[in-house]
Amino acid sequence: MVIDEDFTYSLQSVAELGGHEDRAWHAAWNPKKPILASCSADKSVRLYTYHEDGEGKLSVSFLTSIPTGHTKTVRALAWSPSGTTLATASFDSNIGIWEQELDDDGEPGEWECSGTLEGHETECKSVAYSSNGNLLASCSRDKTVWVWEVVPDSEFECMGVMMEHTQDVKCVSWHPKEEILASGSYDDTIKLYVDDPQDDWYCVNTLTGHESTVWSLAWSPNGNYLASGSDDRTVRIWRRVGQYEFKCVLTLEGHDRTVYSVTWGIGKGKQEDGYLGWIASAGGDGVIRVWELKEHSTSEPLSHKMLTRFTDAHSVHDINTVVWCPRAGYEDLLVSTGDDGVVRVWRVTPVSV
Amino acid sequence: MPGEVFNPNPTIFRTEKPSSSRLAQKRSLWIDEEENTDIDEDNDDVEAIDQDEVFDLIRYISDPEHPNTLEELRVVSAPQITISGNLIKVEFTPTVPHCGMSTVIGLSIRVRLLRSLPSRFKVDIVVKPGSHQSEHAVNKQLNDKERVAAALENPLLVKTLEGSLEETNRRGRTD
Repeated sequence: MVIDEDFTYSLQSVAELGGHEDRAWHAAWNPKKPILASCSADKSVRLYTYHEDGEGKLSVSFLTSIPTGHTKTVRALAWSPSGTTLATASFDSNIGIWEQELDDDGEPGEWECSGTLEGHETECKSVAYSSNGNLLASCSRDKTVWVWEVVPDSEFECMGVMMEHTQDVKCVSWHPKEEILASGSYDDTIKLYVDDPQDDWYCVNTLTGHESTVWSLAWSPNGNYLASGSDDRTVRIWRRVGQYEFKCVLTLEGHDRTVYSVTWGIGKGKQEDGYLGWIASAGGDGVIRVWELKEHSTSEPLSHKMLTRFTDAHSVHDINTVVWCPRAGYEDLLVSTGDDGVVRVWRVTPVSV
Repeated sequence: MPGEVFNPNPTIFRTEKPSSSRLAQKRSLWIDEEENTDIDEDNDDVEAIDQDEVFDLIRYISDPEHPNTLEELRVVSAPQITISGNLIKVEFTPTVPHCGMSTVIGLSIRVRLLRSLPSRFKVDIVVKPGSHQSEHAVNKQLNDKERVAAALENPLLVKTLEGSLEETNRRGRTD
C-alpha cells in the first residue's frame, strides 16, 4: 500500500470476509448491535459480529448465513432503526423481512422470514427504513418507488406508489430526520417525495445535473445536504436551500469508472464549526476515496479535503458498496463489498507523524 | 423471441482465416502445454492480450436472427476492438439501424468475454457511432452491470444467449 505524503489518514484493513459464492452487492451495519450484514448474487445474506479488545484492536467474525429463499440475487439490505429487523431487496422483485426468533431458552436463535412484500413487477434494487422506522421505501426496474407503512406483527401496508422516473430506479434513501424520501435513477435524475396529509405521497422536486445513471444517494448526518454517486464518474453534493429546494454546490471528481456507492457518516474529524463529516465513495475503478467536508457559510461553496485513498481495494474487481458504521464510537469503520464476493472492513486511521 | 425479423436479408461477407495470434501458436507448439495456454485468471504471469485474441473469442457468435456468425455479417471485426491496459472496448455494428436484436447481440458479446477473459479486464461494449437509431439507449443498457446481471438471471434470455454462443463454444479456442 502506498500512502501519499499529504494524506493525514490511511485506510487500514480490519477484516477480509470471504464466503459469498458470487458478487457481493451490498452490506449494512446494524445501528444498535455489533452486527454487520452482507448480501450477494448467491442469494444469501451473511451476518458477522465485531468487537474491540482492550487495546482497541478490532476483530470481525462470521455469525451465520441466511439462505433467504429469494429465487434471484439479493441486491440490497436495510436494518430497521431499532436493529431488530432486516429487509432484503431481491431481483426476484420481492422484499423479505427478517427477524431473529427466540429459541426454547429464550435466547436469540435463527433468523426467520416474518414477511414478504410483493408488488414490484421486476427487480427490486434498493430498500430503506425511514429514520423513525415507521416507513419502508423500495424501488425497482419497473420505474416505481413504493412507500410501505411498517405495522408490527402484521402485513405492511402500501402507502404510495410513485411512478415519476422514466427508467429503472436504482436507489432510495430517507432523510435522517424528516419524512423526505430521495430516489436515484437510470434516467439520470434524483427525485424527492413527501407525504401530502390530505392525499398520497408525491414528488416535490427533481434534481438534474448528473449526466448518467444515479447509482447511490447519501444524506449528510445533519440532513442539510445530499450526496449522489453516478455513472458519470462524479459525486455531487446538493445543498438544501429551501424546504424541498436543493442546489448542487460541489462535484467531487477523480473516479475513472462508474461511482456505484457513496456514504456519508459523522466520521472522527475535528468537530469544529461547519464540520460536516466524512464521505466515502467507490465504484468500478476499485478505488475507495474518503473526504472530509466543511461548510463556511451556507452561501459559500463547501470545502473538501481528501483524507485518504485506497487503490485496488478489492484487487481488480469493482466495488459495489461502501457504508460507514453508524454506531457511536465506530464512526471510523467502513465496509466495502466487491465483485470478488468479498466483504472488507476498514478503519480510517490518522497517520502517525 | 419476437416474431419480427429486423433484417430479413443481410449481407454476408467472406471471412478471414482465424488469426495466427500468439495464443494459437502456443497451442500448436508443444505437446502437453495445452492446459497452460488457456487464459486463466489464476495464472500468475499477467499476459497482455491483443485485438486478434479478443476477436477470436467473439467472431463465431451466431446472429440471433440468421444462421451466420457475427463475423460473417461484419457485426464485429478486429479493428473495432481497442485495448488499453485492462480496459477492453468492443464496438459492434448492427446490420440495420433499427435492429431490435442489438442488445441481445451486445449481451452475447459481453457474456462470451465474461466467461473467457480473466476477471481483471473491464469491458465496455458500444454500437458503432451512427449505426443505430437508439445508440445511447443500447450502449447504456449494455454497460449497466446491474441490468446485465439481472438479464443473466432470466432463463428465457439465457437460453437465447446460449444458442448464440453454441458455435463459439465449439470453435472458440479458450474453452
